[in-house]
Amino acid sequence: MASSWKLSEVQLREWLGGLLDANDVVAPVLEDGVLLFRRISSAEEAVIEASGKTRWSPKEFLFPRSEALYRYNFTGETVQLEDPPAPTKHLVLFGVRSCDAAGIVRLDEIFLSGARDRLYAARRENTTVVSTACAAADAECFCTAVGGSPMGEEGSDVQLVPLDEGWLLRVFTDTGRDLVSGATDGWTAATASDGKRLSELEKEISEQIERSQVKREWSKILEEGFESPAWDRLAQHCLGCGVCAYVCPSCSCFDMNHEANAFSGEQCRSWDACTFALFTRHASGHNPRATRQERYRQRVLHKFAFREEDEPFRCVGCGRCVALCPAGLDIANAVVAAVEAIREEGADGAR
Amino acid sequence: MTDIAVAQSEAASVPKGWQPHIVALVCNWCSYAGADMAGTTRLEYPAAVRMVRLPCTGRMSPLMILKAFEQGADGVLVSGCHPGDCHYVQGNLVARRRFTIFRSLMDFIGIDLRRLHFAWVSAAEGHKWARVVTEVTAAVTEAGPLPSFEGAGEWEGIELPALTGDGPQELDAAALDAVGSHLRQAASEVLTTGRAGVVIGYGAGSLPDRTVPVFITEAADSDRLVWGDGCRNNLAVYAHKMLETHERVAVVAKTCDLRAVASLIREGQVGRDRVVVIGVQCGGIHDGGELAGKCWTCTGDPHPFCDLVVTAEGVHDSGQDPSEAVLDLPDARDEQIAYLESLPHAERWRFWQRQFNRCLRCYACRAACPLCYCTSCIADKHRPQWISTAIDNPGNSAWNIIRALHLAGRCSGCDECVRACPADIRLDLINRKLTLEVERQYGKIGLDPEQKSALVDFRMEDGEEFIL
Repeated sequence: MASSWKLSEVQLREWLGGLLDANDVVAPVLEDGVLLFRRISSAEEAVIEASGKTRWSPKEFLFPRSEALYRYNFTGETVQLEDPPAPTKHLVLFGVRSCDAAGIVRLDEIFLSGARDRLYAARRENTTVVSTACAAADAECFCTAVGGSPMGEEGSDVQLVPLDEGWLLRVFTDTGRDLVSGATDGWTAATASDGKRLSELEKEISEQIERSQVKREWSKILEEGFESPAWDRLAQHCLGCGVCAYVCPSCSCFDMNHEANAFSGEQCRSWDACTFALFTRHASGHNPRATRQERYRQRVLHKFAFREEDEPFRCVGCGRCVALCPAGLDIANAVVAAVEAIREEGADGAR
Repeated sequence: MTDIAVAQSEAASVPKGWQPHIVALVCNWCSYAGADMAGTTRLEYPAAVRMVRLPCTGRMSPLMILKAFEQGADGVLVSGCHPGDCHYVQGNLVARRRFTIFRSLMDFIGIDLRRLHFAWVSAAEGHKWARVVTEVTAAVTEAGPLPSFEGAGEWEGIELPALTGDGPQELDAAALDAVGSHLRQAASEVLTTGRAGVVIGYGAGSLPDRTVPVFITEAADSDRLVWGDGCRNNLAVYAHKMLETHERVAVVAKTCDLRAVASLIREGQVGRDRVVVIGVQCGGIHDGGELAGKCWTCTGDPHPFCDLVVTAEGVHDSGQDPSEAVLDLPDARDEQIAYLESLPHAERWRFWQRQFNRCLRCYACRAACPLCYCTSCIADKHRPQWISTAIDNPGNSAWNIIRALHLAGRCSGCDECVRACPADIRLDLINRKLTLEVERQYGKIGLDPEQKSALVDFRMEDGEEFIL
């Protein structure tokens, strides 16, 4: 069986429509003018374009904004415990960008290695990722600066590549193969020239992204410059909200809260962000990251510095935090500026 | 959908044998005793009401009403002492204003007002209590079960009327350059003469047509300041922080940013003598290529409230008495508000629930708001926890409603919350609606630093036509 095909727009929609029979399909849709990932009920709803990103990443379908870890009810003198419902249908994340797909692998590293997260794992095992490669970069994009690519394969089971006419469909994994099996009748197998188009596109878009490369050896410099006064300058205008973390494909922090009334309740896990003061504030009132600057530094270092030698950056370069930060902070520029400052002024600014 | 169709569809969803749940928040000193009186008088009235006793209507937060709805109440009754009879002298008078505005907000987001009632019932009015409860129960029964807090699902949505207006006088590239150069000159002078230790302005951003806030402390650095249609932030949000390290700060402000500065002064957050307002002629702010909603009816001219006025012609002192100034701008969004209000409650509820469903609780609205300066926000408190931390429709609704209400009569209309929102929630419509309501009830909100904000003030003769 071939592993890449050429599809017309009509064939793509037919395939997507067919997926709806047996799967929950999540795809970009336009809601009140905002492009968002939503569960779709017909192929026509999905906005599958050659370029352009959803407002935020699809991570909420694997790592929900909020979810119950367990629920309980009081009845008479007894308490009934209840597990949250397990997913019943297979999930297809359709039309995610390469950066988003890479973001899912970053989430896997957090939730599936070490202490395996039961709820995340149940959803992840039941999910197939169909990504859409980009035919153009947005102004904020910088995937190529952090080791990614607009055609990146990481995290994708199936990839759609926009061609001048129609789509090139590439299958990378067995899960992906399952998703196309039975649908390939009438599809044209891709040829070597289509493969060439792929590298052309990759080159074209990489040229559109003008950001400087984030070098792997910078991680060490950034970590050594933890006390550098540069952080204070770089994040002076940070407003302390959580937009950056919440739109990020790879941010994985959460908080636990008890949501309950007199009759029932649940242990609830919700997204949290290191840029909030409450994230680290102790019960005593002491906050080890007392200022917004220290909190912003945490975010930058967690993306680019706190890692083992062989691990990738935790930033996938989608640029959403850059585009949506109300104060105009730019994480890619901040890294470059911090490294420059640490080199010039010394790790503690004393030079 | 027509009113009748909505009424029918609502009626159709009423489960068999359904009885309304009504929460009554009552004042200890009057209505609670009034209910007691009804009991000892052996009066009969419907048993649908669960009472919560509180010291005063002034102590009742709208959060309590929201919590009641969130926990499944179909209706809420708030009852306290008649005006003039408050045990704490003025609690019920402040409450009256607060609930007047809260009620209009709940109406706006689609809560049928048959669910929300207010009454004055004294300790002697057992009969009135019985009558009020009977009336309220009948009204809530008629309204039916509370619609659920959830995303609107498959719903085609509402097309709001397009924004119209003349917009500010457009500034061409040459004019913008002139304004920019005069701004840099003004900033440099302010720093050289020591009028302020820091100028909060706009510097070049990392994306096309974007700017970032910059804090200029050396006159030589003034050339970092830029001016253009990407100067979107309201820089007043940084004034407070900069005053920690500087005796006086200068803030570069557009016309729409001024009311925030005025409110910060009025609320004692910033001393008038510690802030130098540099008003700059503005050709309108663009976001994603479109003129921002607030700009459609704005002239873009700097306002007399400023200390320094920067235009394409030059820099001059304002020289006008700011206390007499009012920012009396019409608003292009009033038409959208009127359109929403013309729709039945069920449609409005769907509209807002879909908007609130998108809320990620990133609190960018709060962070960007110059008037959200509390060091500890009600949303971050969890003993007791009034606003659910769960990022879902009930918690998101409570957050967005209470945020708006805390700004009612204070909101400067700068739209920073809308700009900051990654989900494009139309907070501007809510804010503007509340401003309209506050002004309709309690008069124009001006720039006078002596004027108290409407919801911390009261008059004996304030309107109360909705109170039973």
